[in-house]
Amino acid sequence: MVNKQAILDVLLTIPDPEMPISIVDLGIVESVDVQESNVRVELLPTFVGCLALPAIANEVKEKVGEMEGIEQVTVDFIYDPPWSTDRMTEQGKSDLAAMGIAVPDGSCCSSGSDITQVELQTSAIKCPWCDSEDTAYTSAFGPTRCRSIHYCNACRQPFERMKQV
Amino acid sequence: MSTFNEATEQAAINLCLSIADDKLFLGHRNSNWTGIAPILEADIAFSSLAQDDIAHASAIYELAGALMGDSADEVAYGRKPDAYLCADIVTKDDGFDWANAIARQFYCNHFNLLRFERLSNSSWSELAALCKRLIVEQQIQVNHINDWILQLAKGTPESKGKIVEALNDYACEASMMFETPYGFDLLIEEGIVNTADDIFSEWHKRVRKQFELAGVEINVKQRNADAEGGRSGVHSEDFNESLRELQAVYREDPTAAW
Repeated sequence: MVNKQAILDVLLTIPDPEMPISIVDLGIVESVDVQESNVRVELLPTFVGCLALPAIANEVKEKVGEMEGIEQVTVDFIYDPPWSTDRMTEQGKSDLAAMGIAVPDGSCCSSGSDITQVELQTSAIKCPWCDSEDTAYTSAFGPTRCRSIHYCNACRQPFERMKQV
Repeated sequence: MSTFNEATEQAAINLCLSIADDKLFLGHRNSNWTGIAPILEADIAFSSLAQDDIAHASAIYELAGALMGDSADEVAYGRKPDAYLCADIVTKDDGFDWANAIARQFYCNHFNLLRFERLSNSSWSELAALCKRLIVEQQIQVNHINDWILQLAKGTPESKGKIVEALNDYACEASMMFETPYGFDLLIEEGIVNTADDIFSEWHKRVRKQFELAGVEINVKQRNADAEGGRSGVHSEDFNESLRELQAVYREDPTAAW
């Protein structure tokens, strides 16, 4: 039987189509279940109905399906637990920062906190380019549904940020 | 997957359709602003809002479809007009007037957030889990639209006049969002809808708070309890026109993919 770690290693090579990091570093892989030659992968959408989901599912089926000893791969998207930025790995966060996409520290969905309290834009947001906190919020809506747009007054660069969910 | 008895299942399907139909048509209307919203950020925002709403609709159609034995697309596009259960505020022609688009979005966003909050502790576990996730996304929409109400109300006398007029114009249709789909009482008995208290009062409190912040006075009345509208499948001409446009591709080729 194929071991689970080998499958996770393959998932680590699959990038999110809208983000230059792997789906493992993005924290959307919830579980991998191996039964003989059948694998079931549970993924958590970052945002409900994200347009990248079908592409991700196909890639997982293809790459894991190519592994020796695997016959069937099922990919299910589930909403419990909800994905949050807390689930991203440190590697994922620093890779995104290097691309000019900031990642919030806390999450509004952390266990125990009130999920209705979505971030109000009062706390200082650090520029991923120069680390300055002298930044301005431009818009909640950016190139993808999970990112907002900001501007750094110090280095005069626009940057994006994963929405704090 | 949850299983229900026949009557509860039909009521659960109606509930899903009422939510998803609201979102599908609202997203469809808002997508018409892509490329022509007054400023670039607003253009991107409305396109994103449309994407949000259609994605939310799709997730809820999937839940309904699992009970109906149909795909999300079949549920979304394949029904007869009187089987759509959206409130007609979502299909009202906004005449490409920005104040109208904002007013509609404002009333609907607050209602949708409240609805997801109420359903996040539903005894239907799949629906509850989805709604917990949707609350977060819906709150982002609410924050955004509250800002727009403030900006227009505190802008120029012209922008204030326009948003006040639009909020008044849409108030009557907004009250019809609170009509409940057939079988709703059964859902309350079963704990699928956990809403013993009055959802209109809570919604009214929230929108009134924004009106106060914006310094405007808008009179939103509770609907006549006997009034039948979208949730009963009774629709306006604007709805029929929206539906014709929405179904055009599906009618041409039900298997089309894009």
